Amino acid sequence: MLVVIARKEFLMLLRDGRVTWSAAILAVMLLAALVTAGVRYQAIAGERVRAQAVVDQQWREQGEKNPHAAAHYGLYAFKPVTPLSFFDTGINNFTGVSIWLEAHKQNMAEGEPARDSTAISRFGELTVAFTLQTLLPLLVILLTFAAFVGEREQGTLRQTLSMGVSPRTLLFGKALGAALALTVFLGPVLICGLIVLLIVPGGVHLIGHALVLTVLYAVYAAVFLFLTLAVSAVADSTRTALVVMVGFWAVTNFVLPKVAADFAVRLQPTPTLVAFQKALADDMANGLNGVSPDTLIAQRREQTLKLYKVETLEKLPINFQGVVFSLQEQMGNAVFDKHFGMLANVMAAQTRVYEIFSLMSPRLATSLASMQLSGTSLNDHEDYVRQAELFRRAMIDKMNQAITFKSGPNQSEYRAGPALWAQIGGFEYHPPSFGVVIARIASNLTVLLLWLVAAVTAAVLAVRQLRVMVS
Amino acid sequence: MAQRTFRIAFALEWTLVLRNRAIWAVLILLVALAGLAAVNGHERVAAMRMLVAGLNRDEVQTQTALKGSVARWEASRQGEPPTVANPGTVGFSLLSHYAALPPMPLAALAVGQSDVLPSYYRVTANPTYTFLAAGEISNPLNALSGSFDFAFVIVFILPIVIVAITFDLVSREKEMGVIGLVAASGASLTRVILAKAAARGVILAAALVLITLEALTLGVDGPPDVLAGLLWFVAVTVYAVFWFVLALAVNSTNRPSVTNGVILANIWLVLVVVTPAFIGTAANALYPAPSRVALTTEMREAAEEADKAAASSREAYFFDHPELAGKGANPDGFYVQVLATNAAVERAVSPLLTEFDDQARKREGIVAALKFLSPALLVDNALTVLAGTDGVRFSGFVRQVVEFHRFWRQFFETRIVDGTDMTARSFDQIPTFQYQSNDNSLIAVSLPLAALALLASILLMVAMRRLARYPVV
Repeated sequence: MLVVIARKEFLMLLRDGRVTWSAAILAVMLLAALVTAGVRYQAIAGERVRAQAVVDQQWREQGEKNPHAAAHYGLYAFKPVTPLSFFDTGINNFTGVSIWLEAHKQNMAEGEPARDSTAISRFGELTVAFTLQTLLPLLVILLTFAAFVGEREQGTLRQTLSMGVSPRTLLFGKALGAALALTVFLGPVLICGLIVLLIVPGGVHLIGHALVLTVLYAVYAAVFLFLTLAVSAVADSTRTALVVMVGFWAVTNFVLPKVAADFAVRLQPTPTLVAFQKALADDMANGLNGVSPDTLIAQRREQTLKLYKVETLEKLPINFQGVVFSLQEQMGNAVFDKHFGMLANVMAAQTRVYEIFSLMSPRLATSLASMQLSGTSLNDHEDYVRQAELFRRAMIDKMNQAITFKSGPNQSEYRAGPALWAQIGGFEYHPPSFGVVIARIASNLTVLLLWLVAAVTAAVLAVRQLRVMVS
Repeated sequence: MAQRTFRIAFALEWTLVLRNRAIWAVLILLVALAGLAAVNGHERVAAMRMLVAGLNRDEVQTQTALKGSVARWEASRQGEPPTVANPGTVGFSLLSHYAALPPMPLAALAVGQSDVLPSYYRVTANPTYTFLAAGEISNPLNALSGSFDFAFVIVFILPIVIVAITFDLVSREKEMGVIGLVAASGASLTRVILAKAAARGVILAAALVLITLEALTLGVDGPPDVLAGLLWFVAVTVYAVFWFVLALAVNSTNRPSVTNGVILANIWLVLVVVTPAFIGTAANALYPAPSRVALTTEMREAAEEADKAAASSREAYFFDHPELAGKGANPDGFYVQVLATNAAVERAVSPLLTEFDDQARKREGIVAALKFLSPALLVDNALTVLAGTDGVRFSGFVRQVVEFHRFWRQFFETRIVDGTDMTARSFDQIPTFQYQSNDNSLIAVSLPLAALALLASILLMVAMRRLARYPVV
């Protein structure tokens, strides 16, 4: 019986002009977004790799220099992109793409693409993920809003139930039919997407991510499918069913993410750049824990003299300026860790507000997980920033070690060469492993599954007392 | 007779509207969301104003301290002048000046581009690219979601509200058999439909007035800008009329209510979501921003070259600035070298920066033309222009900052090259930034709004013609 109902529903949907047109538009948009993504990935990925190579070469070929001058010259760490980052661009338009790694300073990432685009891009970008998140649920609503209430208005619901079909069988049959129709419409796009992923360089490793993404969006569609069926079962007319579901879609898709953004800032204000830099500069000047940098340096001088059992710095077998540089770097790093750590905590608290709001909006849960799987989430950006900073610290440390142990008493005359520069490898970003990504989306997936359970329960409860007559 | 038909139909529909709980629910939701957006905007702008007011407080303190130590030395003239009298030290590292873009009176009503483009820059004597790249700290997730501002309520939500209370204006009557009765009574069908539309229009207009009052009282504070406020209301009204007439036009095609709903939802989707996303993607594809990444590496290359050729770049510098080379120039000083190196790097990267500007202008041009494809874009643009948070105002601000930077740098540059120290008096002559408002919002928004009004009138005419021939059965 289930199969018969599904088959009937499936055929009806395929023959409904409204549905096929909407589905065709969605499929074309998805394909267009897919092609755009592929083209942009090819262009940008190569550019980042080339830029990193150029910068690494500039570093290696900077000539003979004092290591501290080299540390000031520094390097850039570019943020690499993955094929999936064009499936869902996530926050990538709003984060910098390069960090300057230099002595004494933890710089922020610069070059946000959003600053080079027009206001129009704030309406959303035509990515596959955006299309799936906004238009897929609307298609699902159009497929199913009339499922029960339409049949009731036509009088066929009465006949079907009089044949002894259980309402629950009817529910799942209709769901299955709609799911089949969706598969027919969107299956080809999915296959195209997977083929594109296999073709582009670096895509093969992301097949696992892509499959989880497929499941994610399938669950997202299922949430809307069962919610719409539930509403269709209890609505007094098709127009009520339509208005309620379109309203739900508009509010959860467009209103709640923005309200979440405002709540996040309200509950946990982001410091302004001015305030952040001032607090950082104050700690830099005065030192943490109330011990000034000058005091610390003086202490270290005494310790070093004692350690080597000499009276003056000139008699030390090492260069004390190198020790001072290292000490300054350590003090600076502690200050950076404190302030950037506080900033990261603010961002994390704001992200939690989004997670709370995702209890009210399945789109938020889906988009948060989608960004993680596509490597375009806030976590991914923080990973990049953290790895770049660790690279910077290792690089500066190497330079300071060279000054301490190799430069002798006349530090400013000392010159190092390519041998030292070559000890600093090029910056390489390591994306989180598949397991880490899954762990990160666990909470989002849980929320989405809760939505699914709630939607299915609502639908099952709604058909339990299915009215057959128009009231 | 005709007038009486209208009056009676209006009175009946009015009673129905007042008793329709769905309409009340939708309108109350609109008013509540608008209030929330207004309060949100108010807090955002208040924070912004406070920030702008306090920006230069520290700098004034530093400046006063520097001036004090120079003045103390001037009083005694004992020993060498203090290092803080060196114009290079002051202009390149000790002192900076925040150039800020003050918010406009209606800023609370539309976030526009203000959450991704900086409203202030820290100007130093270093080249502009060293400080123009800096941006305000923000959570990228917030920028991605965008703010829940009043403009969003208007552009996104208002159409849904209008569609929700008008999509079955005529079709419902037909489905309930009222149309037939009216026709049988001999009354003019068009008049009855117009009266019904008028009743819903009146309650909608009341809601619009209410939310505008909310915007002006809860959102905006400070001196009112009457013209901008008026234009704002006009923009909102024209947009509302467009959607109202559109619903009427869809109704006039004689389809079932549900089909009307599906059609209007799809039109909303296409005009408000799909077209803007499509145009944005197209503009970026046609005129992509040159790569910031390439800029970074080229800048480095140029700096490297300039450093290596420090001596020759110094000569080139005086070749470009013959007026500075003459009088007792101090071409060997450290800061002269810095100036020369900076000038060389600027020369090298200026073609790339110009390309950035050109592409940006072309993108803005194409978007300005294509915004006519979607009333949502058109009205969103008008609202952000009136709020002073549109991209064009921000790029104008950047141009003023670049211009100001020239004055600021010149102030220190002439002293560095001449080898003259800063005097206590000269600290008072350091230029300060004053934003020059070139407000032309009236021109910028009236044409698009007139175009939208024209479109609405054409739709209305089409709808009226079709309604006049509306089939009764």
